[in-house]
Amino acid sequence: MVSNAPARAGKPMARSNLYTVILALAFGVVLATTIFVAYKCYFQYGTLFKIP
Amino acid sequence: MSGLTKILIILLTLASIFLCGIVVTYVANAGNYRDKYTTQRTQHDALSRKVSGLNKQLDEKIKQKDELEKKLNDQIAALKIQTDELQVGLKSAQREKAKLEEKVNSWVTVVESFTATAKDKQALLDKTLEELNTLKQQQIKDRKQLAEANTALVEKMAIIETLDTEKKRLVEEKSDLQNRMDKLLQSGGRVAAVSAPVTPQRGIARPAEPLGVNIALKGLISGVDLKNSWASISIGSADGVKQGMRFHVTRGSDFICDLLIIDVDTDKALGVLELVQQPPKVGDNVSTNL
Repeated sequence: MVSNAPARAGKPMARSNLYTVILALAFGVVLATTIFVAYKCYFQYGTLFKIP
Repeated sequence: MSGLTKILIILLTLASIFLCGIVVTYVANAGNYRDKYTTQRTQHDALSRKVSGLNKQLDEKIKQKDELEKKLNDQIAALKIQTDELQVGLKSAQREKAKLEEKVNSWVTVVESFTATAKDKQALLDKTLEELNTLKQQQIKDRKQLAEANTALVEKMAIIETLDTEKKRLVEEKSDLQNRMDKLLQSGGRVAAVSAPVTPQRGIARPAEPLGVNIALKGLISGVDLKNSWASISIGSADGVKQGMRFHVTRGSDFICDLLIIDVDTDKALGVLELVQQPPKVGDNVSTNL
C-alpha cells in the first residue's frame, strides 16, 4: 500500500498511505470511544448532555 | 512528509488509543448512578413516610403517656393519702396495743396474786372445814351430854318438887310445933330462943377467876410484801402461833397495822395485813397483846 513513486504534476498524492492508515485508526478509535460513551450515557441517563 | 510529521502522527495515534482506552475502561466500570439515585430517592421517600407515621404514632403515644401519667399521678396522690391515713391508724393501733399489753400484764399479775390468794384461802378453807368437822363431832358429843344433862335435870326437878312438898310439910309441922311450944313455955314465962341453922353459913360472893389468859407472844417482822399485803414474822408454831391469830404490829409507840395469820411454819408464820396505818418494815415489833 505504501507508494514511493513521485507525485504526478497538478494533483498531490500521498507517497505512502501508512500514516494515513495510522491517522484513520486513531480517528476510528476516537469515534468508537465516542459512540460507546454516547450509548452508555443515553441508555443509562436518557440524555447526552443534560444532567438528569 | 517530514519525519516530524510522522512522529507526531504516531504519537497522536498512541495518545488517542491510550486516552480512549482509559475512557472506555472508566465508562465501562462506572456504575449506573441514576438507578442508584432512583433507589435512594425511593428509599428516602419511604423512610420519610415512615418517619411521618412514626411521628404521628409518637405524638399519640406522648398524649397517651401524658394521660396515663396524669391518671397515675392522681392514683399516687390518692394512695399517698390512704398511706398517711393507714399510718395514722397503725400508730393508733400500736398505742392501743401497748395499752392492752399493759392491761394484760397487770391482769396477769392480778390473776397470779388472786390465784395465790385463792390457794391460800383454799388451804385455809380446808383447815376450817377440818375444824368444822371437829366442832360438829364435839357438838354431837355436847348434844349427847346435853340430853343426859336434861334427863338428869328432869330427875333433879322431880326431886326438887318432892323436896318442896316435904319442905311445906315440914314448915307446917314446924309452925304447929312452934305454937305448941309457945303455949307450953308461956305458961313458964319463957319464950322460944332464936334457932340457929344447923348447916354452916355460906360466905359472901366473890368474883370468879377470869376465863381467858393473855397469850403474850412477841416477835419481829421478817419480811413484807406490800403488793399482796402479806408479811411474815419471826415466830412460828414452835412458839405457839396458830392460824387465825391476830398480831398487832407496832414501831416504838406507834400502831402500824394488824396481821391475821393464815399460814404457820415451825419457826415463822405468814399473815395478811389489816388496818394498815403505815407500811410495815422488817424489824417492826409484833405482839398478840398491846
